[in-house]
Amino acid sequence: MLSIKNLQVSIEDKAILRGLNLDVGSGEVHAIMGPNGSGKSTLSHVLAGREGYQVTAGEVLFDGQDLLALEPEQRAHKGIFLGMQYPVELPGVNNMTFMRESLNTIHRARGEAELDVPEFMQRVREKARLLELDEQLLKRNVNVGFSGGEKKRNEILQMAMLEPRLAILDETDSGLDIDALRIIAGGVNALRSPQRSIILITHYQRLLDYIQPDTVHVLLEGRIVRSGDKQLALELEEKGYGWIEQEAAA
Amino acid sequence: MITAEQQRSWVQQLMTRADAGLPGQSPGWLDHARKAARQAVAGLPVLDRKQEAWRYTSIEALLKQCFRPADEAADLPALDINDCLLPAFDSYRLVFVNGRYDPQLSSIEALPDGVNVGSLCAGLSTDPELLATWFGQTANHTEHVFTAMNTALVNDGVFIHVGSQLELGRPIEVIYLSQVDDDPLLMQPRNLIVLDAGAKATLVERFIGFGPSAYFHNNLTEISVGKGASLNHYRVQDESRSAYHLSSLYLSQQAQSLYRGTTLAFGGAWARTDYNSTFKQEGAVCELNGLYTVGDQQLIDFHLNVQHSFPGCVSREQFKGVLYGKGRAVFDGRILVDKQAQHSDAQLSNDNLMLSRNAEVDTKPQLEIYADDVKCSHGTTVGELDPQQVFYLRSRGIDESTARKMLCLGFAAEVLDSINLPALRDAASRKLGDTLNAAVEEWGGKT
Repeated sequence: MLSIKNLQVSIEDKAILRGLNLDVGSGEVHAIMGPNGSGKSTLSHVLAGREGYQVTAGEVLFDGQDLLALEPEQRAHKGIFLGMQYPVELPGVNNMTFMRESLNTIHRARGEAELDVPEFMQRVREKARLLELDEQLLKRNVNVGFSGGEKKRNEILQMAMLEPRLAILDETDSGLDIDALRIIAGGVNALRSPQRSIILITHYQRLLDYIQPDTVHVLLEGRIVRSGDKQLALELEEKGYGWIEQEAAA
Repeated sequence: MITAEQQRSWVQQLMTRADAGLPGQSPGWLDHARKAARQAVAGLPVLDRKQEAWRYTSIEALLKQCFRPADEAADLPALDINDCLLPAFDSYRLVFVNGRYDPQLSSIEALPDGVNVGSLCAGLSTDPELLATWFGQTANHTEHVFTAMNTALVNDGVFIHVGSQLELGRPIEVIYLSQVDDDPLLMQPRNLIVLDAGAKATLVERFIGFGPSAYFHNNLTEISVGKGASLNHYRVQDESRSAYHLSSLYLSQQAQSLYRGTTLAFGGAWARTDYNSTFKQEGAVCELNGLYTVGDQQLIDFHLNVQHSFPGCVSREQFKGVLYGKGRAVFDGRILVDKQAQHSDAQLSNDNLMLSRNAEVDTKPQLEIYADDVKCSHGTTVGELDPQQVFYLRSRGIDESTARKMLCLGFAAEVLDSINLPALRDAASRKLGDTLNAAVEEWGGKT
């Protein structure tokens, strides 16, 4: 589904990703771990199409199509979803109106029928209940005055509504208490399917206790230096990144 | 640069042309006010950059136009009022066409006893004492040349009086329709609104303009809100793009009264609104909200002069602007808290969203505080759309133009949401949406 080959990305001429390779198949869950500054968030932003990054080499194919040639909204239409590390607040933009606009735009782009208001309401309420998200938050402005945990749950709610083919969750677990983590993991697990792939970007092994990945990758200085099963995450938890750094340097 | 002589001869010429239109019979006090204003004109200072209140608002283009008042028949086009009505909006309605009251298009039947709504001319016969008492009480006729001009040439306007403890079940709506296809025209409504103690009313003023020619809508409104009375006052300025518009509002509030003023300014080539607000007793509340959009060939200007002269009064001023193209805006908000006005509570803000690098705003919030136990704040912002917010929406499948439009509407929402009349709020929201469509289109794909 997703194939990244030799991806090299700079921010203001500073190289961040230095030849990253990654293949994610349909229905797979991949975790990407790595220390601060290794390029995890850059990878997620580049995949979603955020401005401010220069791709200097390499390619990203999504279903065989050049993903980097697409505008951010076109990527969303193709089924890419980025759960943000820091979801922004949108003052004056109603959460429900926003989600409906988003969902219907994507449906239109795919030539699918739009949801009418009752259908939409029913679906959004159902998904919000699953994420134990207070229905009042749907009536508020997007993320305005939400707690950290509520913002993250609102991201997963959008993922549940948009039903993406590839979800990239950028440190969705950061800043969450254990109960919120469990709820969010439950929401993500409910969305696992053979047609949907997930990339989890995280600092901590803890998330992977709740969402079991098929593959764990270690990102270091802009490259994936090691891949393994979830045992690798446990090893990292125990020993830190130092030993991999040494191996990679050797 | 304009000179004092230019300004003087422009006004003199205009007044000479306008004299014919004045009604023959009028009470002595009105004649006196007219004469005094006329005499004052020659001595009034020229409104150039040296006048702080006119520093960023040049009247040069205005003085190049040669206006005259609308003639009886020839200048009064047949307009279909239905095109201008808000859907599902039940109101007591006064309609002015090119500055003249049109009783056929108006609808003020079934007013409750103790409530007078009509034209100023009608008021001269229905309630002459009240008019004589209140006319010129709050306005400063010689504030500048345009207020003097309005007073010197008073011929008609709106007169509203709501008696003690009365509450109107429907809003009063005033529609100023302008359609100017040939000679530039002058319209100068002179309005007087008096709410007695405990009265409650909602007033909606809508300025609507059509036609390619210039006109000058120079209105002056005096408002008195009695003890414990409350007035919700909405104003929607949607003049034609060839229009010059000046609204001078003079507001006087008694104890525990509430005035909520909301002005939405969308139209005009040159449009200015001056709010002069004075508390006459303790415990009054004055809220002024505003929203403006300006694009190419447009200047929109707001001046607030809020005077806290008595203790324990509250004022809230919130103005937001969306600027695109080469639009220009001016905001000058002044709050004065006198020495004796302890426990005054004043908050003033002005936020500007710049959609283009060629737009310009001159914003100047001023707090002058002479009391020592007050709660006052002011702030102003000038910013662009946040690229992170735009990206957030785009990453959810929403195209860039729509994303920008949603964020602009969100920026304006606070002001629009404060409109308590759904029909008016929806119309304003649609108007803003249309304006933003044009703005976003003009802006195109530029980043």
